[in-house]
Parts: sequence; structure tokens; C-alpha cells
Amino acid sequence: MTLQVTGLSATRSGRPILHPTNVKIEPGERVGLVGSSGSGKSTLGHALIDALRTQGRHVAHVPQSPDEALDPLRSMAFHWREAESARDLPADTARRRDLFAALRIEGGDLRKRPWGWSRGMQQRFVIAMALIGTPDLLVMDEPTSALDPVVAAGTMDLLDTYLATRQTALLLITHDLGLAAKRVQRLLVMEGGRLVEDAATMQVLSAPQTPAARALCAHRNWLELPC
Amino acid sequence: MLTVEHVSVERGKTLVLEDISLSLAPNRTLTVVGESGAGKSTLIAAILGLAPCTSGQILWAGAPVRRCGPALVMQEPRSAFNPVLSLRRSVMEPLTARRARLDDNRLKTLCDGLEIPPDLLERRPAQVSIGQAQRVGILRALIGAPPLVLFDEPLSALDAVTQKHTARLIADLQRQEGFAALIVTHDLGYAAAFADDIAVLRAGRIEEQTASRAFIDAPQTDYGRILRDAAFSLGALERVA
Repeated sequence: MTLQVTGLSATRSGRPILHPTNVKIEPGERVGLVGSSGSGKSTLGHALIDALRTQGRHVAHVPQSPDEALDPLRSMAFHWREAESARDLPADTARRRDLFAALRIEGGDLRKRPWGWSRGMQQRFVIAMALIGTPDLLVMDEPTSALDPVVAAGTMDLLDTYLATRQTALLLITHDLGLAAKRVQRLLVMEGGRLVEDAATMQVLSAPQTPAARALCAHRNWLELPC
Repeated sequence: MLTVEHVSVERGKTLVLEDISLSLAPNRTLTVVGESGAGKSTLIAAILGLAPCTSGQILWAGAPVRRCGPALVMQEPRSAFNPVLSLRRSVMEPLTARRARLDDNRLKTLCDGLEIPPDLLERRPAQVSIGQAQRVGILRALIGAPPLVLFDEPLSALDAVTQKHTARLIADLQRQEGFAALIVTHDLGYAAAFADDIAVLRAGRIEEQTASRAFIDAPQTDYGRILRDAAFSLGALERVA
């Protein structure tokens, strides 16, 4: 079923930080939400999560850093049980085994606390938790910026493979158009709290229509810069 | 000229850097890339004299490197400043410490080059954007005209557009000022676009060291290839057909 929200808006201290916005995401679609710092992309992401959950849709969120998702005093097994009971699901060893295999964290010791795992494995564990119960939408906020490039690329590849055969849609929030261009089919471009462009990735890259999209395209990757 | 000769650094019983040799001439840029824990930040600390070398030596023009007054630009722009002081006070610290006088023309030239409006320096760190704070961080590093400037992940806290803009400002200032730049970064795209040479650090050792464009075309080691391919797959580089 299509995910759809109309007239989404947000204010902070009486000032509008998100102007009325419509978003539609198809099952299994991969969408990038891009813009510079302060453009309102995280605000739209969070408002979208709230609105879809109010509609009864299953939306999972992976924050930028695993530190925000994991309690340093609790074991990994505890986190996993919490995530299952949050979805009203009974403990299921087969499900855990499948998700751990998909994200290659089978070797992780569940009795340990987060800091007993490497950072890359923590992040993949958080992604695996988010995928419990096959959500309608997975929202990832700058998923690669807290990781080594090698670890980040490996994580995104594993996620791509896992999502390829499933109905879970992906919303990738990032300032990095280069990353989005590699990973999503459609781009939403934000500027000043407004959604200014919504088009296929190739179309935005080849013919950006707005100043915000043109700026992101011009700065897409380092070697394109006139040095 | 910076010369790092067979430097090793131990922390406790662990060898964090092992037999590192590098050289870097004025007006040139060397980036050091590698995974977390490879020893990148320890290398910076060793050059600044903050991590004692267990063997080897680090020299600038044949004398101990500290004598040339190397400067550092830090990763987190806002927390790099004392939060209760105006940015101007912080920027003056390198001069105050050496009892040097401020040359108003130099301050103005640097502010123009870094696109820092004059009144910005009267504010405190929390009152400016992260991009502005990082440009002031660069101003503080350059105010005393150091011949060697170290950058520890100078762009990672900034968004993509600001990153590339700031990288350009650093490169333009380097052309005017002629300092040698040693940049520690995760970002191979930045290294490829702005550095003369790339050194790949892994587990405290230098795996390879080459001209940056040559590295992107053909890394010499397996680990170098893994790093380059990750940068392509994250969209930091475009594959040239």
C-alpha cells in the first residue's frame, strides 16, 4: 500500500519550519531526502514518521549514530528483546538469525553491551533491529557519516541486498547528493523548510530545476570541482 | 620542509605508530587517510609534540618541529573555542602566547580570504554557524603565519556544499601563504581533489604513499583498493570511464 501524507507542516516557537508538504512513497521505493544543513530535511523526516505512525503504518527509524539508539548499560540481547516487544512480537530465534545473517553480525556476542561491539557492527545491529517485523518504511538519517567509508559502504551494500526482495521502502536523509545518487531512485530536495523538487534521481542530476538542487549537483563529488 | 624519520609511538605497551617516514615541502598538501584507530590522530599529536616518539625524530628545516610553531585546525568547529570568550579573543591566542603584535592588515586579508565579516569575531562560538566557526578556526591557525598547518578532519562536521566551499578557501589561502598542509581525513574524494600526495595509514604503518591522482587510478595495495572502491560506492568519487 502506498505511503501518503498531505499538508504536512511544522512550527517552532510560532515560526514555520516546515511549509505544507505532500509526500507519496510506493512500497519498496528508495527515496533520498537531500538538502544543506538547516534546509528542513530532518524536520520533514520526523514529521513524516509521526504522521505515518498516526495512520497506523509501521515506520522504523535509524539515527545517525548508534550511540543515539543503544543504551550503554544494557546488553545487546536486552535491546533486541525490547525491539521485538515494541512490535508485540514474541521472541523468534529464526527471525534473529536471518536478520543477523543479512547484516553479517552473526559473530556478535549478545551478552555484551554496545561498547563490546565495533561501531560498524553496532550500526548494523541497529539496522537489524529496525527491520524486525518488516516495516513499511525505513528512515535513515545520515547513516554513513558516523562510520569509516569502508564500513559505511559495506553496510549500505548489505541493506541494498536485503531490501531488494522486500516491500519495505527506504527514505535516506542526507546532505550528500553523491551518496543519494548511488542509492536511491527518486530525490526530494529541501530548501528553507520547503520541498522544492521531487523527481527521479537521474532527472535531478541531469537537469536540476531549482537553485538548491543546482547547488547540490554542482557540489556532488569532489572531482567535478573546478580546482 | 617537514621530515618525519622512522617515528614510532607507544601508548602503554601498544605500538600506535610504527616506523613512519614522511616528508612534506612548503606549499604542498599531504593527506593521511585510513580507518578509525589506524593512528591518524596520533600522528598529528606526535608532530605537535603532544605524543612523545619512542624512536625516530620529527624536524622542520632540520630543527625540532615545535620551534616552527605549527598550527592545528580541529574537527569540531564550535567546541574548538572557549565558549565564554569572543571569537576575536580566541583568534588572538596564538599571538598572545608568543607576545606577538597583531598586524591589522593581515587580519583583514585573512578575513576577506575566509569570507568572515568583521563583526562576526565579536560573537561567541554558539552564536555562529558551524561553517563560520570552522572558517574562524582556520583564521586562528593562520594568524601567526605558521609554515606548517595540520588539519584533523577539517570538513567532516560540515554539509557537502559547505565542505567543498571551505576546501576551496583553504587551497586559495595556501597558494597565497605558502604553508605546508598535512590533512588527516576519512574522505578520499577530498584527498583526491585537493592533495598532492596521499599516505594510507593502517594499524600504525604506512601501507602506501603516492601522488593522489595516481592513487585514485591505481592503488598499489589491496587495502588501498578497498578504500578507493568504498569512496566510489559512497559517491565521493565518480568513476572516469
